[in-house]
Amino acid sequence: MKPLRERDRLPRMSSVLDAPAAPPVAAAEATDARKIYGSGDAQVAALAGVTFACEQGKFTAIMGPSGSGKSTLLHCLAGLDSLTSGSVQIDGVDLSRLNDKQLTELRRTKVGFVFQAFNLIPTLTAKENMQLPMMLGGDAVDEAWFDQVVATVGLKDRLKHRPSELSGGQQQRVAVARALASKPRIIFADEPTGNLDSNSGGEILSFMRSAVDELGQTIVMVTHDPYSAAYADRVVFLADGLVVAEIVDPTADQIIDQMKQIGHA
Amino acid sequence: MIFTLARKSLTARWGRNVFIALAIAFGVSFVSGSFVLADSVRATFDELFDDLTATLDLQVRAQLQGVNETDGAVRDPVPAPLLDVVAAVPGVSKVEGQFSRFAQIVDRDGDAIGGGGPPTFGFAWYDPPPDSVFQLDEGVAPVGPDQVVIDRPAADLTDYRVGDTIPIIVDTGLRDFTLVGIAGREDGQDVGGATTSFFDAAFAAEILSAEGVFDTLDVTIDDGADLDTVKQAVAAALPDNTEVLTGQEVGDETSDQLGTIINAFGTGLLIFALVTAFVSAFIINNVFGITIGQRLRELALLRSIGANAKQVRRLIVIEAMIVAVIATVGGVFGGLLVAQLIIWLFNQAGAGFPSVDMLLLPRTVIVSVIIGIGVVLMSVVLPARRASRIPPVAAMRPELGFEALTAGKRLVGGAVTTGIGVTMFLVGLFVRPGGTPGLALFGGVGALLTFVGITSLSTTVALPVSRAIGAPIEKIFGVPGKIARDNASRSPRRTARTASALMIGVALISAAAVFAYSLRDTFTSVLENSINADYIVTDQSFVGLPPAVAESLYSIPELSAVSPLRAIRGTVPGADGSPEGISIAAVDPVTIPDLVNLDVSEGDFGGLESGNGVMVYRETAADLRLGTGDSVDVTYQNGTEATLVVSGLFDDNSLDGDWYISLDEMSNVSDQAVRDQFILARVAEGVTPEQASAAVEAAVATFPQAQLQDNAEFRAEVSGQIDQFLALITILLSFAIALSFFGIAVTLALSVFERTREIGLLRAVGMSRRQLRRSIRWEAVIVAIFGVVVGAVVGLGMGIALSMAVPDTVISQITVPVPILIFVVIFAVIAAVLAAWYPARKASKMDVLQAIATE
Repeated sequence: MKPLRERDRLPRMSSVLDAPAAPPVAAAEATDARKIYGSGDAQVAALAGVTFACEQGKFTAIMGPSGSGKSTLLHCLAGLDSLTSGSVQIDGVDLSRLNDKQLTELRRTKVGFVFQAFNLIPTLTAKENMQLPMMLGGDAVDEAWFDQVVATVGLKDRLKHRPSELSGGQQQRVAVARALASKPRIIFADEPTGNLDSNSGGEILSFMRSAVDELGQTIVMVTHDPYSAAYADRVVFLADGLVVAEIVDPTADQIIDQMKQIGHA
Repeated sequence: MIFTLARKSLTARWGRNVFIALAIAFGVSFVSGSFVLADSVRATFDELFDDLTATLDLQVRAQLQGVNETDGAVRDPVPAPLLDVVAAVPGVSKVEGQFSRFAQIVDRDGDAIGGGGPPTFGFAWYDPPPDSVFQLDEGVAPVGPDQVVIDRPAADLTDYRVGDTIPIIVDTGLRDFTLVGIAGREDGQDVGGATTSFFDAAFAAEILSAEGVFDTLDVTIDDGADLDTVKQAVAAALPDNTEVLTGQEVGDETSDQLGTIINAFGTGLLIFALVTAFVSAFIINNVFGITIGQRLRELALLRSIGANAKQVRRLIVIEAMIVAVIATVGGVFGGLLVAQLIIWLFNQAGAGFPSVDMLLLPRTVIVSVIIGIGVVLMSVVLPARRASRIPPVAAMRPELGFEALTAGKRLVGGAVTTGIGVTMFLVGLFVRPGGTPGLALFGGVGALLTFVGITSLSTTVALPVSRAIGAPIEKIFGVPGKIARDNASRSPRRTARTASALMIGVALISAAAVFAYSLRDTFTSVLENSINADYIVTDQSFVGLPPAVAESLYSIPELSAVSPLRAIRGTVPGADGSPEGISIAAVDPVTIPDLVNLDVSEGDFGGLESGNGVMVYRETAADLRLGTGDSVDVTYQNGTEATLVVSGLFDDNSLDGDWYISLDEMSNVSDQAVRDQFILARVAEGVTPEQASAAVEAAVATFPQAQLQDNAEFRAEVSGQIDQFLALITILLSFAIALSFFGIAVTLALSVFERTREIGLLRAVGMSRRQLRRSIRWEAVIVAIFGVVVGAVVGLGMGIALSMAVPDTVISQITVPVPILIFVVIFAVIAAVLAAWYPARKASKMDVLQAIATE
């Protein structure tokens, strides 16, 4: 397997200059989040008290070995799963206070999703898939924004195609475009390149990167691949349900070193 | 090994197998129920008549020539003096003169019981022999002209007790009697809701207007006398046109006659049962197709780890058979419930079924098993073969599904099957090869093939049609509507199959509706054209109106013309010389031209006044090569022969048949009690409708069995009867229709299961539970409307063909009942919404995270 292109960049000057400014606003944050499965001796803590914030306008990666709780954390942050104790806030709203209807509304308007596979409704065209959240809410589509998103992911000539007529990479690009199209507060991506070859995977990650840089989007991504994680502004490492390490502006090598320390194969 | 796998797989897919089993059990239970019902009713009546004739040694009665009672012929009575003749025959111990006449009991509220329903008899009371099942329950036998005994069903119905004074309507009008006793059968059975009043034998003839005659003479022979010897001796003493039968023969004959009716009833039920079975076959077939499709990856996995094609095939078949056997057993016994349910439905609609012991014959079980297991085998063998041919590598292909099992679009096959079906149907209707059996065979098989063919064809049209139906729904309901529309057109084959089950029921209802409404409209327009009478008095008692009704109408000056219509049966030499049974109507030749318009094209009714004149329907006359002035030899039902002269021809035989004679001629040739089928009357000029109706109502007031209607009311009643007929057919088809909505529910539930991941995704990106439920609901509606549309088109075609096939005298104009079709569509939408309830709920209750994680 040939190595992935590592994003080659210098530390940004702005982060140095703006150091004393106000603390960055969190798009989503978990406070002492615990998620316990089972009871008694069979109890397993998927999350054993995670406190974690995703900064506004940043690309955050969550890594960790299998069973570390990284997917559970993502699902709880996104309001797809509920915590046993602790709290999760998106845009300042405590998700535990929301009922199903409000959670649905939140997912439609404030959150975008990119899953590993089966991201699209097979009966809808690419364009319909991208606009689905807005259509569900009966919201008007911001055409200018939509065109910009479509241009960014390079799918202008694929809008009328159904998922079965698109390659795996194109399907994931549609999924990213859908997540972006509704201008959510935050996008959650669960191993978005897990099913793709390295070229397509790289493309997807570049789009996500540019969405953050150029469009100011906030993205949280779960991955087990250090080269993918290297696209992020920050990598948070989970092990046994706890945050164990964090690297800001990581490189793939740094990530691999950190993984070795945690005991990742 | 395969058995273990089959067992595990069955328990793992518990819910789906319950659905499949229910579909099989429903279909089987209706088939079994039809047989059970017909067998049980037949057995009950057989027993009833065996019991009634068990204590009867011999019966003397008038002969019927060329016709029998099931044709509606009423035997002449025997003259009373014959009783003494028979009593004098050696070996005869006792002779009882019997008659059964009209006697209707009036309840405490002043309403005549029975109404237009079951018959109300008046009998002469003779002390029943000690071994008779029929005995006096309470009180004493009637003595004198003012006492009566009624039977247990009548007592239960009216709550009259011994000692009460009860009004009874007899031929001469209303009379009060003292109730002195109640008679009943030991086994508590009643005969089809009939009620009976018994009068002292010495006065019964006077009370029931049967002086000088008896219907039958019931003979008891001496102890130790030989039945056959006595029978022959009685026969030797009898005049012409009378006969003697043993009690056994009388019982068998009654059973046979009833058997004919019950067989027709059973056949009718069976047709509906087969429709239900056919519909359930569609659903079973569909469900197996879908579930096997959903398991293809699992089956391919089995192949890849070493199972051979035969083992895979066997696994599927064994699983299906286990479900089929359990469901069929359930269905056979479910038939007992269905039979009860049908009895209940019929009784609700006013039919008086006797209480029946359910009879499950081995034949019923065998047929049910063949249908239950046969349908499953047919549904499963083909998909099992295809599934076993799936290459093992297919296990890796996620897109594999139901469609992988289909063999192309079958456009040609569907068109050919439909063509053959329609041709057979039309040949059956119009050519009728071999008469009625040919009609039934060709018509039935043709309809069946048409349905199968249309189902194949509708696979081709399912996509455009379901998209078209869905278009307005998408427009109105947005994304949920769009998802519903896309899903409904996603697997055209599945949609077509699911809708086809509904299509069959809807087609049959629409065909029946077209037929019934065409019949009604033809009938009412005929009535409008052919009846000039202002009033029609109809009989509600089934035995005909007593002559007193017509007499009282003749006597009122507000009416200018009155004629009763009576009927007698007989035979005439047919075109080939052999006797041909006919029904002859007798009318008043003086007044009838003012009352009806039968399009007399030659001669006139005045010719009947001479006594031996007869008016003949033109086509019948042509068949028999009769012209005006020709003579025709008629043998009446009682054996009397007469030569009639054709006095004219008419073109409209819709009123009362092909032959008309005068009332005088009828009373000359027949001794039977005078009974009017109905009476026509015309208001005299210068009399206002109010005056006329007051006078006419007063004239018939003492005869509650006579129903007085003006022309419009009469037509409305006929329409009402047609509606009842349609309602009956709808009730019988409702099982098939209910089953087809059950099919929609099952298919949707399976689809929801299949689309778990997609549903999870929709929910994740922001579809609310409500929107999700709505999308599934509208999917059901689209499928249902598709079924209704195809069904209505097929049904209209069938109904029009059916209406054209019957003679013009029965149906001459075709009516498409648009309101009924609209109602069916509305009903289908509502039923589809109900059918979608469970799948929609199941989908909306899915855990989003688990749904997304589903493989």
